[in-house]
Amino acid sequence: MTTILVVDDEFLITDVLAFALEDEGFMVVRASNGKKGLDVLDRERPSLVITDYMMPVMNGVEFAQAIHGRHGEGMPIILMSGAHADLARQSGHLFACIFDKPFVVSEVVDAVIRLVGRPG
Amino acid sequence: MEQLPRIESGIAGLDILLKGGLVAGASYIVQGRPGSGKTIFASQIAFHHAARGGRVLFATLLSETHERLFQFLSTMEFFRRERIGAEMQFVSAFDTLENEGLDEVVKLLRREISRQKASVMVVDGVLNARSRAETSLDTKRFIAELQGHAAFAGCTVLFLTSARLDDGSPEHTMVDGVIELGEELIGSRSIRRLHLRKTRGSGAIPGLHDFEITSHGLVVHPRLESVWGRTASPEAIGTRRESSGVPALDEMLGGGLPSASVTLALGPSGSGKTTLGLHFLSRCSAEEPGLLFGFYETPERLCMKAASLGIDLRGLIASGAVEVLWQTSAERSLDGLGHKLLQAVERRRVRRLMIDSLSGVARASARPERLIDFHAALANELRERHVTTMASWEMNSLFGAEIHAPAPELSSLVDNLLMLRFVEAKADVKRVMGILKVRDSDYDSSLREFSVRGDGIHLGRGFERMASVLSGAATIAGS
Repeated sequence: MTTILVVDDEFLITDVLAFALEDEGFMVVRASNGKKGLDVLDRERPSLVITDYMMPVMNGVEFAQAIHGRHGEGMPIILMSGAHADLARQSGHLFACIFDKPFVVSEVVDAVIRLVGRPG
Repeated sequence: MEQLPRIESGIAGLDILLKGGLVAGASYIVQGRPGSGKTIFASQIAFHHAARGGRVLFATLLSETHERLFQFLSTMEFFRRERIGAEMQFVSAFDTLENEGLDEVVKLLRREISRQKASVMVVDGVLNARSRAETSLDTKRFIAELQGHAAFAGCTVLFLTSARLDDGSPEHTMVDGVIELGEELIGSRSIRRLHLRKTRGSGAIPGLHDFEITSHGLVVHPRLESVWGRTASPEAIGTRRESSGVPALDEMLGGGLPSASVTLALGPSGSGKTTLGLHFLSRCSAEEPGLLFGFYETPERLCMKAASLGIDLRGLIASGAVEVLWQTSAERSLDGLGHKLLQAVERRRVRRLMIDSLSGVARASARPERLIDFHAALANELRERHVTTMASWEMNSLFGAEIHAPAPELSSLVDNLLMLRFVEAKADVKRVMGILKVRDSDYDSSLREFSVRGDGIHLGRGFERMASVLSGAATIAGS
């Protein structure tokens, strides 16, 4: 089972992504901010993280830095970014992919498959 | 007396009502039905605040995504995508509210205020918080705790809700101000109204004020009489006289119209009111700029009409001596018109003003009972600004003994009254003009035959031997 962690304060977006990934056979765990995301990360050991940029407690870049700090740089992270894409791109090295909101769900799912393969 | 520091709202007219803006560190409830403009109202303040170097936290308790909100806001001129994620942070507390409850939302937002160093916070969807709370006391505590922390951090809070909270609701008692956005149907017209229901520590102007939503956001039109014309100095009307543009009329007036006075020309359609106004404006110059604030005739038609009277209106407009502001639609707010007029007067330091017609202004009114206050404020303000004003008033009947003058209060508001009538004399339709009133001055009260030729208005003495002229059917005196 390949597990994906989706972190966004906007539940509609975590919902949309989770349903699409679950349809592909992934196991999806969710968190509404980065701090909670780190807890889930420790507990569930996902293969890939999808995160929003503008969130309470810590933003997407701070969250990615915290993941790399704790788990090394091997964990692929996809960033979903809205109006602030340029700010996020300044830290582009932290991310395997950056999607601008509103994104096409299937393209995000394709990127996940490209990075971690189809769920076994 | 100490003045509390303010945060400029950036909403035209609102800062006037609030005496400078929202009180910094205070909290406000902004309430109104869905579609009443709450989100635009709050976003406009937020973007304005960010543009002036402030930091904004926009927290939603709604299920709508932020991206949808941005798409909708991107149609507004004040929207700046680059500020989002920088000076402005949008966070959703919906998930926290659903799964962890109100206390956790308060904790989350308290942390975010500090993290973002926010000086303005918008909490959209307080209704959700209310429906969630077990009793109404819970939302009261939610608002109290959140605003307590915000005030400590010097952060101004706007709570947006579509609930109709009444004056006695516990939420209202917790906040410093309540702003209600509403809409009223009058006939087929819909008029948006802003109501300052509670404003603590601000000396704000209470009551209902019209507003519009334009691509620039909200534009509030404070009730004209609540901001202007409140300090009428008795000395405003000068002893100087200004030419009416018709030498014979100046003679009848005892030297012209008193400077900074307001003159009303009453008469039916076609009796010569606009013609008189064009003569009045023909005396404009760079030193004495004029304005024609009109409703019926387009600038082009006015230029043609003036040319037929030997008045070069086109030249006066080209040289900047006269501006013509033509109101294309009657679907306007009365106060919107009033402010537009006063702004145009202020902008060019207008000294001669023709309003054609004041009844056209009155038609924009949804509440006729307010007209007297409105006209009184407008007239006072124009006198204060040393504007000599001529205004026309359309009367219904062409002939007849009955003169349907505007409300008697209105006649007493103006300084001078001129009357134009049609009269039948010897099987001929003639026009007659008379002076009914000149404030504090003697005048020639004889009725004159009003005729228009290629060189303008002539005032003849054709009625000297007639009687009952004002009945509309003149007879030879003594017959």
